[in-house]
Amino acid sequence: MTPYNRNTLLVGVLAAVVIGGVVSYFASPSPDGLEKTQEDMAAAEPPHTPAAPPPSPFAEYNLKGIPAGFLSNAAAGVAGSLLVLGVLLGVGYLLRRGRRAAAPGGAGGPPR
Amino acid sequence: MHIASGFLSPPVWGAMAAVSGGALAGSLALAGRRLDDRKVPLMGVMGAFVFAAQMVNFPVLPGTSGHLGGGFLLGVLLGPSIGIIVMASILVVQSLLFQDGGVEALGANIFVMGVVPCLLGGAARRLWERPRPGWLAWAVTFVGGVAGVVAGAAAVILMLWASGSIPSGWGLGAAMGLMTSVHLLIGLVEGAASVAVIRFVLGVRREAVMRVAPSDQARRAA
Repeated sequence: MTPYNRNTLLVGVLAAVVIGGVVSYFASPSPDGLEKTQEDMAAAEPPHTPAAPPPSPFAEYNLKGIPAGFLSNAAAGVAGSLLVLGVLLGVGYLLRRGRRAAAPGGAGGPPR
Repeated sequence: MHIASGFLSPPVWGAMAAVSGGALAGSLALAGRRLDDRKVPLMGVMGAFVFAAQMVNFPVLPGTSGHLGGGFLLGVLLGPSIGIIVMASILVVQSLLFQDGGVEALGANIFVMGVVPCLLGGAARRLWERPRPGWLAWAVTFVGGVAGVVAGAAAVILMLWASGSIPSGWGLGAAMGLMTSVHLLIGLVEGAASVAVIRFVLGVRREAVMRVAPSDQARRAA
């Protein structure tokens, strides 16, 4: 990996981990704009049958098994950020590989 | 602004799944040509950043909060196709793992927070491709960031209305006014944050984000 890309990853991951793991603990607990609008219209109960959410250790941004609080929120924020990072690096790698395969002769020219 | 499960009728969420599925398929087809080795890590960390930033609800009115969407700034920095892929990935993770946004409402949520603001951001992107983007790029980005949030909020009300999820006592117009006025305030934060994040990322990673304009290349070489 080039130093350029390593630094992109280091700084980006650090920012995401600090924001998702620490700053998010101080987020406002009030309902967001959509939830509040639905409450104000007395329409906060779903009129259709809700789909059962898939089982997850991170429901509602708290790690299951430890009491809801700073640690639980931080674990969820860090895990979610790293998961999104991993998914996108995987997707990006596959898309790049597809492009290389489509263009015989290597890198396939400059982007765009 | 994540629509929870049970608020959209099957025809509405089905139609939105088709629209967003199509947009995502088109984006995946286009994105490979726009990715290079420097952009892949940036796309990853921008996704992680937007996911984290969405957790930080800020107060907008007593008893009401808002959070960043991030689609507009991704549309500017990565282009609309990569932006849509990043937002869709975030929303899938949020829905499946964090129970934030209904699973059947994923298409609707990708449309509202991904497709709409990413396309608007993509339209503003060329202003930032100039060698020295000035106040016009800032102004258009701020207004565009606001517009993306308000347009998304309006789309949510239309979907809820078409799904019979707005009580009969509330007309479409009243619901629209309530929802868009709150999101106008949230949008002001989105617009300001979009300008700040774009300026920061262009400051440190311009060559990974945009093709360097020939005049700029000459200026740097000189």
